[in-house]
Amino acid sequence: MINRTLKFGLFFIILVLLQVLLFNNIQFSGYINPYIYIMFILLLPVEIPGWLLLIISFFTGLTIDFFSGSPGMHTSATVVAGFVRPYILRVISPRDGYEPGGNPSMFAYGVRWFLIYTIVIVVVHHTALFYLEVFRFTDFFRTLLRVLLSSLFSITFILLLEYIRKWK
Amino acid sequence: MRNLLNFLAKYNHLIIFLILEGIAIYLISNGNSYQNARIIKGIRGLTTGIEKKVSNTRTYFHLREISQSLARENAILRNTLERSVNRNDLSFSPLVDTIHQQQYSYSTAEVVSNSVNRQKNFFTLNKGREQGLSVDMAVTDGKNAAGVIVGCSENYSVVMSLLNLDFKLSARIKSNGYFGSLSWDGRDYSHAVLNEIPQHVTFGIGDTIETTGYSAVFPEGILVGTVSDFEKIGGDFYRIEVLLLTDFKKLHFVNAIGNLKKKEQIELEKLFL
Repeated sequence: MINRTLKFGLFFIILVLLQVLLFNNIQFSGYINPYIYIMFILLLPVEIPGWLLLIISFFTGLTIDFFSGSPGMHTSATVVAGFVRPYILRVISPRDGYEPGGNPSMFAYGVRWFLIYTIVIVVVHHTALFYLEVFRFTDFFRTLLRVLLSSLFSITFILLLEYIRKWK
Repeated sequence: MRNLLNFLAKYNHLIIFLILEGIAIYLISNGNSYQNARIIKGIRGLTTGIEKKVSNTRTYFHLREISQSLARENAILRNTLERSVNRNDLSFSPLVDTIHQQQYSYSTAEVVSNSVNRQKNFFTLNKGREQGLSVDMAVTDGKNAAGVIVGCSENYSVVMSLLNLDFKLSARIKSNGYFGSLSWDGRDYSHAVLNEIPQHVTFGIGDTIETTGYSAVFPEGILVGTVSDFEKIGGDFYRIEVLLLTDFKKLHFVNAIGNLKKKEQIELEKLFL
C-alpha cells in the first residue's frame, strides 16, 4: 500500500515536471498545446473512492496552475475530469469487470479499451479547460478546433508514455 | 436530520464535486490578472531558476541577431544625436529650457519566461521593484510595443503581453492620425486587430500603426505594426488586421518605459474626477 502510494507520488512528480518544463514550452502554433498531466488521473486505481479522486484531481490541477500562472483553470478542468471518470469507467467496463486492486492501464485491458478511455477523458478535460480559458462563447468553433487538435496531441503523447511505462 | 445525512451520503460525490468546482471558479474569477500573477510569482520563484537557464541557452543561439539589432539601434541613436547637435549649432540664440523635464525613463530587462500559445499570455522579466520597475510601465522590444507590467516582486516583473485577450491599447494610423483600439483576437501570435477606425478614413495595406500616448502608459509614436488586411464591419467601422512588428516568439531583450509624470497627472485629476 505504502509502496504503491510512493510510486504514484513519483509518477505525479514526473508528470508535473514533464508538463511544466517540456510540454508547456511546446508551441507548435496558437492552436496546439498538449496537456499530459491528466494521465495521472487516468491511471489512478479503479476502486479509488470518488471523494478521494476528486480531491486528488483538485490538487493536481492546483499544482499545474501554480506552475503555469493560471489560477483555477487547470484546477477546474481537472476536477471535471475526476468527476466524470467513475461514470466513464462504469460505461466502458470490460465484460469480466475490473480486476480488484488494478489500475486502468493499457496492459490490463488492451489498447482499444485504453484508447477509448483516454479519448473520452482527455476531450472532456480539454473542453472544460479551453472554454474556461477564453471564458466566452464567441469564436465557439475556433475554440472547438483548439480542443480537438490539442486533444489529439495529448492523446498521442499519453499513449507514448504508456508504452514507455510498459518497457520499464 | 437523518434524511439530511442520508442525502449527503447518497450524493457525496456530486456535493464534493460542486464544492471543489466552486473553489476553482472562485479562483478563476478572482484572478487571472494581476493580483494573482503577483501571488503566483512568489511561488514561481521555484521555477524561475530553471527558466533562467533555458533562457540563457536561447540567448546564446540568437546572439548574432541580437548584436545586429543593437548595432542598428546604435546607428539610429547616433543619427538622432547628430541631428539634435547640429540643430543647436544652427540656432544662433541657444534656448535654455527650464520648464523641460524628462517625461519617460527607459531601462532594459531580459525575458526569462514567455508564452504565445495561450489566450491570456504573460511574460516574466528578470528585474523588479529593486531595479526600479513598477506596475503600469510600458514594455517594448526596443522599438515596438510588447506589453504592460502588471505585477512586480523584488526582482521579477510579470508583463501582460500584447497577446492577451484582456490587453487594450490606444493606437493610430500614422499617416492620418485616426486612432482606435488595438487588441488581440487570440488567433495568431503575429497579428492583432485595430477597431473603431471610421469608414470614411482612407488608408492602405502596409500603413504603419503606432501608439497614441493617450493612455499615459506608452509614449507617443511607439511602433506597433503594419496594416495587413481590413474589412468593413457593420455600418460604421473598419476591422483592421495588424501585422505585429514584435516577434513574440523570440522576445528577449526588452525596454521598460516609465512615465515619470504619470503620478502627478493622476493626483491632479483626482481632485476633480
